[in-house]
Amino acid sequence: MNHVVDQLSALLDGALAPPARAAVEAHLAGCATCRAERDRLSGALSALARLPAAPEPSPYFSARLAARLAAEPPRGLLGRLAALRWRLALPAGVLAAAALAGLLVVRQQRGLELAAAAQLDLLAEYETVASVDDVETAEDAALIAALDTLDRGGTR
Amino acid sequence: MSQDDDAALLLAFQRGDEAAFRLLYERNARAMIAFCHRFVRDAARAEELAQDVFVKLYRVAGRYQPSARFKTFLYRVATNHCLNEVRRAEFTARAAGPVGEDQAPDLDALPSGAAGPHEQAVARSLEQAVVSLLGALPDKQRAAFVLCRFEGMSYEEIAETLETSVSAVKSLIHRATVSAASALAAFAPGGDEEVLS
Repeated sequence: MNHVVDQLSALLDGALAPPARAAVEAHLAGCATCRAERDRLSGALSALARLPAAPEPSPYFSARLAARLAAEPPRGLLGRLAALRWRLALPAGVLAAAALAGLLVVRQQRGLELAAAAQLDLLAEYETVASVDDVETAEDAALIAALDTLDRGGTR
Repeated sequence: MSQDDDAALLLAFQRGDEAAFRLLYERNARAMIAFCHRFVRDAARAEELAQDVFVKLYRVAGRYQPSARFKTFLYRVATNHCLNEVRRAEFTARAAGPVGEDQAPDLDALPSGAAGPHEQAVARSLEQAVVSLLGALPDKQRAAFVLCRFEGMSYEEIAETLETSVSAVKSLIHRATVSAASALAAFAPGGDEEVLS
């Protein structure tokens, strides 16, 4: 007679298909050795059922886990890109501000230079007018008046 | 909510819903701590391990396929992590060594004050016997045994979790149960547990 000892745990766990289960139970009915082994295994399962319950989660479990997850790098490509975006946001902002400030300085400088160039043009025309020593047109008169104004502003 | 709801939460998390992951671990925290407790028998360490498991789940969530059962996916991560943990010399030594102060069963997990001194003493002895049993089992047997006896998984679910065949699971569980029958004989009905009081 072939014993069915290696089928007994599956029998106790209800993991045997109906035909196998029927065959094992038929064997047990006529085999005291296998019945004794079944009872021995069944006793172990009964003992395990008497184990104390596992501990409850501590009140801080979720908070601690949330803190650990918050420290995790973002997930996936999109997450990494999102993180990169925020990591670059500050330096990019600083760069943009610096560029804007630079642009303003350049524009202000350029404005001063243009004003200086305009004054030089006026002076050149003034010399031309003065060399002629004769103011004939209204345009020349306006030019001289502007140069006088400029001159008063520069000597103040 | 069902297991399918857990899968839906994980899929929502895959789409970027962080709140779904929080709900997922809040729903499964208690079961996961209990599972880890079966491996390390220490409440504080079990919580740390359970947190490790959820952090790992967070990292590998993108690999989850809707065709897989969430439970087996989660317990695969958890089993691998717990087995790695018990392989470490510290826990192996503690599990296999003699009973000492450090190995005392977790008092928080013992029955409440409603149990009498005899019952509490028996519970402590039983707890210790299970610690020794689990510590002595080979890794795969231990994992299959815990998943079956404490998590109530079917052989098919265990096979999926451990990525092995159902017939291999059947063999693993049977050998572990035979070991348990020897280790826990005193606690079985008709055993001589009264000598432990």
